[in-house]
Amino acid sequence: MSVSLQAEPIDIAAEYAALVGALPGAAVATFTGYVRDHSGEGPVGALELEHYPEMALKVLQNLGREAAERFRLDNWRIVHRFGLLPVSETIVWVGAVADHRGEAISACEFMMDTLKTEAPFWKREQGAEGARWVASREQDGERRARWEQSKGV
Amino acid sequence: MSITIKLFASLREALGEAELQLEVGALPPEEVVDGAINVAAIKSVLSARGTNWSDAINQPNLVHALNHKVVYLDALVRDGDELALFPPMTGG
Repeated sequence: MSVSLQAEPIDIAAEYAALVGALPGAAVATFTGYVRDHSGEGPVGALELEHYPEMALKVLQNLGREAAERFRLDNWRIVHRFGLLPVSETIVWVGAVADHRGEAISACEFMMDTLKTEAPFWKREQGAEGARWVASREQDGERRARWEQSKGV
Repeated sequence: MSITIKLFASLREALGEAELQLEVGALPPEEVVDGAINVAAIKSVLSARGTNWSDAINQPNLVHALNHKVVYLDALVRDGDELALFPPMTGG
């Protein structure tokens, strides 16, 4: 039940072991986000992630607590990177442990959908013609809004 | 004491500053009520710094976070508070 903001790559095996090991659960779901080699704007060589450290930590801690309450989680973890991230490297990892798969899977989706629109991180893509700030996507806001309408799984 | 303004991402880049301090005593007195000034008035003060400031600060969808919480334009800011301004978030 914790958050990590880090520059270094995410050690998924270690994260998974820590998530499950402390508290063996019946259902475990995780999500990993990686840097793509392309975007709607063209090829991407690397991603720079700027963040607002104090606020990002608070937002993600509150998000984990909210997910735990809403989906009755036994354990959860959110890891988000910042700094310069080459293509194919991890950006974000979330994990949830619950009694049943529905809660675990929904918790991961809820954490990701909320994190995308509420945690203070900004992506800048390094492309062939220089760097460009990534624009927020309308679909991300719509995905987040779904969780306001349906309060359950 | 003063109000700390933090700028992030494209806003920080456009203005060439990541952080600045506003002395409450130097703010327009008519905007300060019981030691507090709202976010909209702070944006007006910052906009007066020049065209590039005015353009950046008044862009649509700008997000305001007071002491690490997203707030609306009518939120009250006091001495010692931290107000961050930034474009919509794009993490994950």
